[in-house]
Formats: sequence, structure tokens, C-alpha cells
Amino acid sequence: MRSVRDLVGVAVSGLTSRWSRTLLIMLGPIIGVSAIVAAVGLTESAKGDLQQTLAALGDNLIKVEASGSFGATDPTFSEDVVARVNRLSTVEGSTALLSVTGVITTPYEAAADYYTAFPTPVLTADEHFLDVMNVELVSGRWLNSFDSSTAARSAVVGIGLADEFGFREGNRTIRLNNLDYGVVGVVERYPLDNVFDNAVIIPTSTADADFDVGLEPNTLYVRSDPASTLATEDALPVAINLGGDGEATTLVLSDALEAEAAADSTLQIIVAAMGLLALIVGGVGIANVMSISVIQRSAEIGIRRALGHGRSLIAWQFLLESVAVGLMGGLAGAAVGVGIVIYASRIAGWVHVLAPELDLFGVTLPAHYLGMPTLYLIGVGAALLTSVIAGLYPSVKAAQLEPLETLRLG
Amino acid sequence: MSQPPLLELDAVSRIYGTEVLVYALNEVSLTIDTGEFVSIVGPSGSGKSTMLGLLGLLDLPSQGVMRVTGKAVHELGDHERSRLRGDVVGFIFQQFHLIPHLDARRNVETALLYRNLSPRDRKRKAMEALDVVGLAPRHEHRPVQMSGGEQQRCAIARAIVTDPQLLLADEPTGALDSTNAANVMDIFADLNNGTRSIAIVTHDPAVAASADRRISMRDGRIVADEKLQHGEAITSFGGTLGSSH
Repeated sequence: MRSVRDLVGVAVSGLTSRWSRTLLIMLGPIIGVSAIVAAVGLTESAKGDLQQTLAALGDNLIKVEASGSFGATDPTFSEDVVARVNRLSTVEGSTALLSVTGVITTPYEAAADYYTAFPTPVLTADEHFLDVMNVELVSGRWLNSFDSSTAARSAVVGIGLADEFGFREGNRTIRLNNLDYGVVGVVERYPLDNVFDNAVIIPTSTADADFDVGLEPNTLYVRSDPASTLATEDALPVAINLGGDGEATTLVLSDALEAEAAADSTLQIIVAAMGLLALIVGGVGIANVMSISVIQRSAEIGIRRALGHGRSLIAWQFLLESVAVGLMGGLAGAAVGVGIVIYASRIAGWVHVLAPELDLFGVTLPAHYLGMPTLYLIGVGAALLTSVIAGLYPSVKAAQLEPLETLRLG
Repeated sequence: MSQPPLLELDAVSRIYGTEVLVYALNEVSLTIDTGEFVSIVGPSGSGKSTMLGLLGLLDLPSQGVMRVTGKAVHELGDHERSRLRGDVVGFIFQQFHLIPHLDARRNVETALLYRNLSPRDRKRKAMEALDVVGLAPRHEHRPVQMSGGEQQRCAIARAIVTDPQLLLADEPTGALDSTNAANVMDIFADLNNGTRSIAIVTHDPAVAASADRRISMRDGRIVADEKLQHGEAITSFGGTLGSSH
């Protein structure tokens, strides 16, 4: 064992006596491993954020739009569509909306022309909206049964509209076709559907009274039993039309977000592959520098042979130098990668994921192995493997040097 | 049962080339016993460098048998041969061949690596060896910070730290001025005792004359092998010439 310790001492002194060179060849593994760690860590952090959003919003909200029979304009559902849908045993709740067309909204008097050209969406909604959508109010209150029964001119605005014009409960009004509506609340952004962000939402009865749009909705949001979202989605058109000739388009809102998470996996593989490439190039760099080093140090090798060190000890010495570069570079690279993940996550506002589960070609690896994050074990292991392979050729070359030739005797 | 000789060459040849054969050594037989002080002299191309490589176990005979403390070296693998080399032979080179990035003590310690020694023992032995050559106060100096004479003394310390039976010197004074050369030869004279042999390869007649035995080579053969009486006078009287002249 003391021989191993001696060997480590020789390798370390060989590296530390040439610090700048050692640091330079360490750059390869540092860049490679940090790229791998950062690529996986960042995409997992971004995905983790998406998954957190998904978990909060649920993946069981189905949007249903009336598409009517062939050729119909502005198709709608029947008035009792919510009751029909709620009859399905897998439906936990639903809310109906109607897009009101032909209404000019003027939040800001001087800009009337602009809002004529680019109309703000006006929607009607019922009192179940907040519960079914699982969305919060920023301020104020939602439309209530008093508003409905009296056809009150109350409005809730989306947060985009509110931010743009500083709407606050009670002290502002919004003008719809020259009728003043009181803004009673501001609804939070809904990540899965941005139609509410800049919308004005009014009671169905008020819309019918002021704009004569009827009481039939054209959009439904249905909250399903999470275990049977797909079955619910399939059953909805039949439940809505009851054999009639109307048609309904259904969409599970979280699907787009899940697709986004999947796309991130592809990006992760690409960036990690580039990191691997950097690692391989770094390995070639190690092999290069070590080969030159063997030539430069041929006299030292001859001396060591003359002092009784066998060929295998010489080979081990150089292999160990290479491995030490790989190990230290790998560890430094992992540290740099962690730094990148933490820093970039902070900037992006993500919760950083430092020890993700890994999915390699369909094999799922646990987040930790032997108490260490698997990701870093793989990164440092790859650097080690690269440095062993890179060090093999120079080490064998060093062992093959003939001391008689390098010592210039006589 | 008599002790085998330290070094024994029995009709040893060293042949280079495959089609045109060059006999660097041609059927040389030679015995060096424990405690001898031998010089090997000859012009360039006489085979003395080849002889040095063989005596130092850095090379193997092409023909013939070479035995070191009774062991036939061609029967040993690289590991055993290296171990034997480290145990029996201490090398001293014309160009000193210290490792440039190590200080004097660590250069000496290099000879003690892989010998199952604790760092403390290794350090102690290295300092003792440096003390023998008068370099202990400069043990933290690296080769570039030492004079030629100091570097050669450091190299001698490295050669003797393993307490080898044979000191093998290749033109040890060739890169030194006369004062340092005399200094180094004095150290050799001191190191030559009943258990340690010294073999110096040189073309300097003065250096050769300080040995007890002079082996002259030419064209890969030994042409003369003489005992020198006056060498003893030089070592005994610390540099004054013997009266036998």
C-alpha cells in the first residue's frame, strides 16, 4: 500500500510542479462535465417548474367549444348544457362562458379609436368559474348571483387589462358600447389558457339584457375526475348534444404544457451530448499534452528507471497523472455546473433541481446512488473514464522508453 | 561455500542491427568483486558505454551470460531486474540527471520510492546521504539553484542513499572544473570500502589512475586489465602523488 501512496505522491508532484499546464488540460473535463451537469440540471429545473405548474393546475381540465353543425355561424350549446355535463359521473364541476362579439370596449376614453380597431374580448361567465378553473382573484370579488339576478353592470377584468390601465375595484368603470360597467374584481393570470388575460367578464343575464346575445354559452370548462380525464373527454360531446346534430371540440388544457416538458427532454439530450463531445475533445487534449509531456520528461523517466523503478511503475505514474486531471477536472466541472444551475434558476425564477431522476434511453435512474446525486456520479465518472482512456497511450509510451537512449550515457 | 562475485560477465556480446551486425561488445568476460574500485577506459566507440548499460542492468546481453550477485540477468523480468538494479546499483551521470522540479532532498528520496518506507524514514535517510556529501544545508535547493559540483554531489547522495553494492559512474567529472572534479573524486575514494564497489567509465587518464584497477577497451573487447598500485597512494595521502613514480 505504501507503493500506491508513493505513486500518488509522484503523480501529484508531477502535476503540481506544472500548475498552469495542469489547469489548462483540466479545462477540457471542466467544460465537458459542467455542460452535462448544467444541461441536465437546467432542463430538469425548467421541467420541474412546469411540472409544479401542472400539479397546481391539474391535468384534468377539459375545454369544450361549440362547433355546431356544418355551416353554422357562431354556434352555441343549449342553455342547460352545464346541467347535462354535470350528469356525467366523472365530472366534478363545470362552468359555461360565451364570447360576446360586436361589443366595443373602451377602458380609456381617449383611445376609443384604437379599441374599435382592436376589440377587447368580452366574455360572460357564471358563478362556478373560480371553483372549476381553480384560479384566484388578484383583488375584489367575482360575479355573484345578485349580479346575475339583477342583470347588474358589474365586470371582472383580466390581469393584463388591469395592469395596463391600473383598474382597481370600485373606483373605475369600463365602457362597453357606451354603457358604463363597474369593475368589481381583477382575475389572476391563468397559465393554461390566456383568453382571460385581457378580457372583460360580465354576467350572462347582463350581457343578454344589454347586447341581446341570448343565454346559450359557446364554451365550457369541465373539471374531470383526475383518474378518468380521457374517458370524460370522449363522453362529453355525446352528453352535450344528446344525439343532436351539434358538434363539440374538446381539448385537455394541460396537454400543451406536457408537450413543452417533453420538448425540453430533447433539448436536454442535445446539450448533454454537446457536453459529452466537449469531454471527448478534452480527452484528446489530455492525450496530446500527456504525450508531449512524456517526450519532455524522457530524461526523468530514464532516471527513474535507472533508480530501479520498473516499466509498470512508470506507466502507472503517467496514468495516475492523467486520472488525477480527469478527477479534479470532473469535480470542478460538477461544481461549475451546479453553480450555473443555481444561478440561472434564480434568474429564471425556477426552483433549481440539483439531483434529478435521470431517464437514459428508457432506463430510469434514481436521483441518488450511494448517497451521491447520480447526475454528478455520471459526470465525474465520464470524466474519469475519458482521462483513463486518454492516459493509456502516453503511459504505455512512457513505459516503453529505453533508459539507455534517454540518459545519453558515455 | 564462496560468495558469488558481485558482477560476472561470461563471453558477453552486445550486438546491434539485424542485417549488418555491429558488435558493440564482443565476447567480453569480466569479474568485478565486492569492494573493488575499477575504472573502464577507452576511446569513443570502444564499447564502454555499452558496458555501462550492461553493468547497470539497463541493457541485456545479446549473447553470453551476465550474473549480478549470482543471478543471471536475462532470466529476470522487467520488475525483478528493476528491483535488482535499484538495490545493487547506484548511478552517477556526467550530466547529473537530477529531476528539475524536485529539490535536493526530494531528488535523493526518488531513489527510495516504492521501498515500503514511511515518509519520515525516507526523509531521514535522504538527509543522511546529503550529509555524507556535505549538502545537507542546501537540501531545499532545486537543481537550477545549485552549482555543477553541488548537483553532482546531490546525484552521488541519490546514488548512495539506497546503500548499493556498486556505484556506477559515467564520466562523473566530465562536466566539472578541476576543483569540483577533485572534490568528487575524493568523495568516491571515501565511499570505496570493503562492501561497496565503484566502477567509473571515463576517458580522463587522471580519473582512471585514481582507481585500483583499470580496464582498457577497444573495438568492443577488453585489451588490458591492470592492477594499479599507485591508486592506493593517492587515496591514502589525500591527493598527493604516490612515491612509486
